[in-house]
Amino acid sequence: MARAAIVVIDAWRDAPGISDSFLPGPLECVELAGRSLLERWLERFAAVEVEATTILVSAANQYRLPAMRANHGVVTIEVVRDLDISLKATIASYAHDGIQHAFISWASDYVETDLLDLLCFHRESKQGVTPTYNGDGPLSLWAVDCEKARQSSVGKLLDARHTAKSRYFVREYVNRVTLPERLRTLGADILSRRCETAPAGMQVRPGVWLDAGAKVHRRTRIVAPAYIGCGSCIEADALITRLSTVDRNCRVQSGTVIEDSSILENTSVGICLDVCHSVASGNKLLNLKRGVVVEISDPRILWCTGPASENASASVPHGTHMWRVAGDEQTAVGNN
Amino acid sequence: MYTRGPVLVMELPETLNHLEAASFFKELQPILKDDRPWVVLDCSSMKSMDSAGVEMLLQCLHEAMKRNGDVKLAAVGSACAVLFELMRVDRLFEIFDTAEAAVRSFQIFAPAASVQTQPWYSAAHGLTDLKVAS
Repeated sequence: MARAAIVVIDAWRDAPGISDSFLPGPLECVELAGRSLLERWLERFAAVEVEATTILVSAANQYRLPAMRANHGVVTIEVVRDLDISLKATIASYAHDGIQHAFISWASDYVETDLLDLLCFHRESKQGVTPTYNGDGPLSLWAVDCEKARQSSVGKLLDARHTAKSRYFVREYVNRVTLPERLRTLGADILSRRCETAPAGMQVRPGVWLDAGAKVHRRTRIVAPAYIGCGSCIEADALITRLSTVDRNCRVQSGTVIEDSSILENTSVGICLDVCHSVASGNKLLNLKRGVVVEISDPRILWCTGPASENASASVPHGTHMWRVAGDEQTAVGNN
Repeated sequence: MYTRGPVLVMELPETLNHLEAASFFKELQPILKDDRPWVVLDCSSMKSMDSAGVEMLLQCLHEAMKRNGDVKLAAVGSACAVLFELMRVDRLFEIFDTAEAAVRSFQIFAPAASVQTQPWYSAAHGLTDLKVAS
């Protein structure tokens, strides 16, 4: 049975202003414990052997897509201007290619349901679209019959979450990552293994994950569970504790304490600081206790170690990637 | 700058960077050289600061403590409070919601009010309990 998936990185949703100003890109593309939400979705789809995956990215936002760690099969990335048109076109092309069923998911809703079970439920219900929901309400994950969905409008398709005769109830782990605060919750849940998805890298001792090229000084104290990302450097006398994650290319200088916090990629934290209950990204710090974002212009405290914006195509090395800007005649970048 | 009894209240500038911190400290330095300086720094207008600003505050505290005085902070905004926590400075200062509360705190705990009249080994200081325990 042929199946495919569409993952949407949604700039059309009511974006909370804080993530726009605080994060370098959309929440879905921010690496956390080694992998972004987008990559975690691609992994889940690859696990149920989808034949093709299309990522629909908003053309409104200019940002760098996260680097992928593994080959997730045939992945097409489309930068689109109108979601409805692109979604319909993608479903139509799947139907044309003989693909019977597709999953549509908004990458920001992280759902760990059994996708095969969802597909069986959808087939048995014999409806065009099967929406999903959990105890907190509807989720942005659908199973779609490509042929039937092609004939209806996309608006109707997405509204099916309210009108569908039968909906699929998700009992497993769900995290609606719409705010950076939720990203921190997800990080803590990943480390404490409240969800299926695991941190990237190698578990060097119970609960402590170190990724490739991570350097930890022997006088550093890491209290499990914790994650240190690719190429990150933790200097002497630093303390990483209480479900903290330090992602790729970060630096934590001597004597600094990282407690119940997530240090997002390309962030450097200065000497003898206390980063508690926070999410740090570049030179910005979100304090979760006080709910404020502080931009620190002092490079002795917090600074961005990496380039703020890169060519998006450069960081997507695996699989088949095609960049098309809907509405433009020429292909923007090809990387096959 | 104004005084409330023996307490001096000074408002910190909107931005406390290297330059502002230096000029502020220059202004405050003569007061810190007095005997037992009691200073309240009102942070209500302060919007941003950097490590130079924090260093200046620590220097003020150091100078005041050398002469048995103290520096207290008042009306610290969320952004500055986050920075104080980040730099582990929050635990070094007494922080109050308003300058008035900070001034009052000096008067409540004025040294004259807490002069030790009884010898340290008297019953008032728990020596009896100590004897019972031993």
